[in-house]
Amino acid sequence: MCVLFAKVASAQKDLLAFNEQNKYMYYQVVGQPGVITDTLNDRALYFLEKAYPKNTIKKGETSGNYTGTGKFLVVSGLTMAKHIEGEVNYTYYIECKDQKYRYWLTDFVFTPYKVDRYGNSVPQEGIDIPLESATTKLDKKQVDSYLDQIGTYGKAFGDKLKYYILKPAALPKETKKKVISTKDW
Amino acid sequence: MKKKFLLLLLAASTYSIASKAQDTVKTTADAPLVLYGSVDTYYKDDFSGHGNIPTSFASDNNSVSIGMIDLGLKKTVGNASFVGEMSFGPRNDQSIPTAGYHIQNLYVNYAFSPKFSATAGYMSTFIGYEVISPTGNFNYSTSYLFTNGPFQNAGLKFTYAFSDKVSLMAGIFNDEWNVYTSQHDVSTFGAQLTITPVKNWTAYLNVATGPSSGTEFDLTTAYQITSAFKLGLNAATYSTTHYSAGFSGVALYPQLAVSKVVTLGLREEYFKSDNGTAASTYAPVGPLPGGSVLASTLTANIKTGPLTLIPEVRLDGINKQQYSSFTNSSGDPTKSASQFVLAVVYGF
Repeated sequence: MCVLFAKVASAQKDLLAFNEQNKYMYYQVVGQPGVITDTLNDRALYFLEKAYPKNTIKKGETSGNYTGTGKFLVVSGLTMAKHIEGEVNYTYYIECKDQKYRYWLTDFVFTPYKVDRYGNSVPQEGIDIPLESATTKLDKKQVDSYLDQIGTYGKAFGDKLKYYILKPAALPKETKKKVISTKDW
Repeated sequence: MKKKFLLLLLAASTYSIASKAQDTVKTTADAPLVLYGSVDTYYKDDFSGHGNIPTSFASDNNSVSIGMIDLGLKKTVGNASFVGEMSFGPRNDQSIPTAGYHIQNLYVNYAFSPKFSATAGYMSTFIGYEVISPTGNFNYSTSYLFTNGPFQNAGLKFTYAFSDKVSLMAGIFNDEWNVYTSQHDVSTFGAQLTITPVKNWTAYLNVATGPSSGTEFDLTTAYQITSAFKLGLNAATYSTTHYSAGFSGVALYPQLAVSKVVTLGLREEYFKSDNGTAASTYAPVGPLPGGSVLASTLTANIKTGPLTLIPEVRLDGINKQQYSSFTNSSGDPTKSASQFVLAVVYGF
């Protein structure tokens, strides 16, 4: 079971590819038959606002495009002894068209964390390591682990986006207040 | 003690498993229970053949000795968080004046907003550049400024961030440093102004003042000038009418990463003990009252994963023989002392 888990975990790195600038990216194109651009656009925006409220959101030059930045923690160790290794900052892009959308995450930059005097895990200022050149400054094993976690994060990002795109129920509803008259009974 | 330790670990495991079980049914982004800490061990050789340099920790000469095992647990749920950090070993015992106590940090924090938070409990001091945990320092031996300053302050503090570049902490702390319980009252006022003038440069202007504990003004700053070069500075002055004594000093910390595993660093410190008076009931650790010391420490950090090997050479020189308590290999008084330390620190 452990071997299986290790294989599944290590496979996440394979979800990443390189773009034209030779940077790692997590890239997916998803077909969504029967859904027009405007609807996809609204759902994607709602996804960004609700699922990743700390990410920056910038509307692209053309309708249905969003970009922005975000970050997440990378850890090492098992549940009991989880250690925060650092954070990975990234840039995301979402583009919607009739009946399909695509998204990608790229510009992954790792900033190591240290434990400060109060026990807080805090970024080490001034140390920003692009994942493409990380092996020159970090152990290969470390870098592989971070790439696995980036792959996992990218997949989770896509799964959540798919959920918001597929489920109109995820969009905000106008909730009518239920009022009961106690006069008529 | 061993049983207590095992019980503690078991409790921590159970808590962690319980947290995990809860995580499967809720989808909040609360951080998991995090365990962190370190262990450290060292060998020191004072070139005189006996221990001379009196700064904190690494006190055993010609001996493979231990520092401490440091274990911390932390957890955040919503706006509330806690940190509990305990340690065992000689380094712990030298950092806490109360025998048998093992707490380094024990506090709770509540964030009223992203900009404003309150913290209460027993916390590492906000004063100074160096810290008790060996993973928090570049050099293994410690400075005179660190040794003579506070290690912990118990109290209640509030922090407000005016912007990304400026924040202010102010609080009220126990009347004496390093103690869990006050001697008489909660009468030390402490404040820290944090300024980030440019990216990767942070400066902390600190003050701690009280009728019993005295007054220390402190500047601690570090600037990561390039990804390979960092420059740190600590300057402080302390006075107390209660004990009729004081000190002042400055230390510079340039550090250069020469490869992905090796970083070289120098600590150059000047420290002066005040003259004191006939009524003085306290003298700083270091040169005798009225004297000063120039301490030069060359350290390498060789990292492989969580392990750091720390070879270090140190030379301390007192300005005049009369202020020195150093002795040479023959036991005669001397103005200078030097030592070599090889330490290994494992952080997790």
